[in-house]
Amino acid sequence: MEPYAAVLALLGLLAVVIASVYSLSYALAPPGTPAAGPFLSGARPEEHAMSRYHVRWYAVTLLFLAFDMEMVFMYPWALVVASVGAKAVVEMFAFLGLLMAGVLYAWREGALRWS
Amino acid sequence: MGEATPVWAVVALPLVLAGLICSAAALDAVFCAGGRPADPLREGVRLLLQQRRRTRGADLLLMRAGVISLPVAAFLAAMVIPLGAAPVLPSSVGVVWFNAMEVVAWASLWLTGWGADSAFPLIGGYRFLAQGLAYELPHMFALITAALAAGSLDLGAVAAAQEGLWFAVWMPVAFAVYLLSALAMAFWGPMGHPLAGDVAGGVPLELAGPDRLLFFAGRLALLAVAAAAAVPLFLGGGAGPWLPAWAWSLVKTYAVLVPLVWVRQRVPVVRMDRFMQVAWTVLIPATLLQMLVVGLVVLD
Amino acid sequence: MVLSARLARFAAARPPSFLVAAPGATGTRLRAEAELRRRDRRCVAAPPAAAVLVVCGRPGAGLGAAVERVWDGMPGPRARVGLGETASREEIAAALETTALEPAAPPSHQDEDVPMADRAADRDGLKLDVLHVPLGPVLADWPAGLALRLTLQGDIVQAAETVVVDAPEGPSFWDGPWLRAAAGQPVTVGEAERRRAASHLDGIGRLLAVAGWQHAADQARALRDEVLADTPAEALTARYAGFARRVRRSRTLRWMLTDVGVLSSETAGRYGLAGYLGDAHDRLTGRLDEIGQALAQVDAQALLTGDGGPRGPIGQRPSGALLAVLPRLMEGAELAAARLTVASLDPDIDQLAVPAEAAGG
Repeated sequence: MEPYAAVLALLGLLAVVIASVYSLSYALAPPGTPAAGPFLSGARPEEHAMSRYHVRWYAVTLLFLAFDMEMVFMYPWALVVASVGAKAVVEMFAFLGLLMAGVLYAWREGALRWS
Repeated sequence: MGEATPVWAVVALPLVLAGLICSAAALDAVFCAGGRPADPLREGVRLLLQQRRRTRGADLLLMRAGVISLPVAAFLAAMVIPLGAAPVLPSSVGVVWFNAMEVVAWASLWLTGWGADSAFPLIGGYRFLAQGLAYELPHMFALITAALAAGSLDLGAVAAAQEGLWFAVWMPVAFAVYLLSALAMAFWGPMGHPLAGDVAGGVPLELAGPDRLLFFAGRLALLAVAAAAAVPLFLGGGAGPWLPAWAWSLVKTYAVLVPLVWVRQRVPVVRMDRFMQVAWTVLIPATLLQMLVVGLVVLD
Repeated sequence: MVLSARLARFAAARPPSFLVAAPGATGTRLRAEAELRRRDRRCVAAPPAAAVLVVCGRPGAGLGAAVERVWDGMPGPRARVGLGETASREEIAAALETTALEPAAPPSHQDEDVPMADRAADRDGLKLDVLHVPLGPVLADWPAGLALRLTLQGDIVQAAETVVVDAPEGPSFWDGPWLRAAAGQPVTVGEAERRRAASHLDGIGRLLAVAGWQHAADQARALRDEVLADTPAEALTARYAGFARRVRRSRTLRWMLTDVGVLSSETAGRYGLAGYLGDAHDRLTGRLDEIGQALAQVDAQALLTGDGGPRGPIGQRPSGALLAVLPRLMEGAELAAARLTVASLDPDIDQLAVPAEAAGG
């Protein structure tokens, strides 16, 4: 079997399973999907919950992005270390060292602790 | 790429995954005080018979996209994991594929939490994003360390490279971090803050009926797939005496999955405002050192 | 339809429950929890996950409205079980056994649409969206009758207001032996110490549940029920020692509770809360010590004379001071820390009731 045909067949199967969960619910459960208030310990909501959320760890997201970009290089790097030799290890860890200096700075500034 | 997929692998994958999900659910029930193995089945039937439900301001499309993407992501991640010798999708970049699929859970949880238009699920969804920032980098470094030692991103080749000595033995830090991140990616047990009781169950709080069923099945699927991926990455894949390769894969998967399920009873939940600093100042340097050691061994 | 009737029976065998306790119904709550545990029935953290709503005691107007709203949001098949304040074990068992799940009726009232979240300045002066999220009165692992109206930005508490939802019912179940002794009735030290140990185990059970350690919380509650059920001292101390060792040794728990809800000696002195000094972990270990001491005295036959109840001198009603200090501890805390703080202080609203006559559970 071609791999991609196999993947598509399995995805089709999963789609059937998920669809049958919903169809079983439609067949067996009471009809309709009535709306309920959100659970707020028994209180009435004062506003929609969907809102601009105060994300206090935004500094960590920036730090994360720097490393995440670095991962793009790291996956191919892992394949060539043996053939390129010491140069590859030195260069990658020099780069990682620079990034870790950034982490050190962020840590000293308290960006990793917010409460 | 390009090799044919054996038909038995295509048939086996959904069966094995379903078996892992069911047995993980039954085990979890048994480990709980007063639980019985049939409890999850009972709950599943109850949810199928239950009145469907939505919150008044809910964005049903987003919420369902979040719920459904959870089992889909786990299923797609499972395709590159070899059961014995052959995965469904033999891929030269299997490790990257696994990594990418498992990150889909970030979107799943956030969409489910946001789509419900309810404060506690919303908070739970954002908790998982913070959790992702903490666990994902150590997790990726652990994956790369295994790939580096094997010189390949193909999970089959990574397993084959461990002939004689499992990676779990000579890179214990990477293995330990991988297990921790397996808990985190399935938001299970100590890493279950997005679903914790202090926000009344968090992300899936407002779900009922089929939505709730698929959400929790998807979570167990993620946990099972994370356990299954540990086998080719760190435990020598299907290699072992007497038994066929697929049987060894299963035995080793359970050897990882059972402790992961069990640990929920042993450890309280970990909050990211405390864990973030440890993740960045201890786990990342530790995994990088582990990678450096492995890199030096590879050079030799 | 035979099949779906069978499936329904299979699914309804041990339905998950959500438990609400009204003020003054602590005894009923404890009996209901014990009966649910005896039947291996799960209690869940939120009503949408439950099939049975168990209401202990008689809710007043405020709690009653909250219970109705929560009931409206519960998907069917579902059932509501009301248990009176004086319901005996047998009555509770019968009520739980005979619960029949029924399809949900359409909601009794529709809320009007609500506006989008508005912005307000946070504590650093930034303009940020604000959510109003009340904690309680209908909340798992939460003191009966208490509501905290939180103003959140993200998951940070900007402001908190303590509300006692209905008039406290009293007398406090946990202070029972001391109240009766104060009224001149003969009460043994053993009985009072049993009550003290059970009170602390109840609070620790809540704290552990809020800290996400359900297994240890279940252990604490099982122990609590045994203490109240007059189990002999030898059997209790051995089991308690194992539990206390487990909780004390958990490094994760210490890591998560340290520096949460810190009560400085200055604040504690001002509010008369000397027994609550330190952070949530200090209070936890302090209580574990007290339970150990109390369990050593459960057979003492001497007559009770003091007024040092589980929460401090009962005449001073420490729960009033706990409620007064709560808003200060909430402001600037994360929601998770706020819940842990409340659980670690464990105020008993029933203590605030005007004592009409000495009585106990």
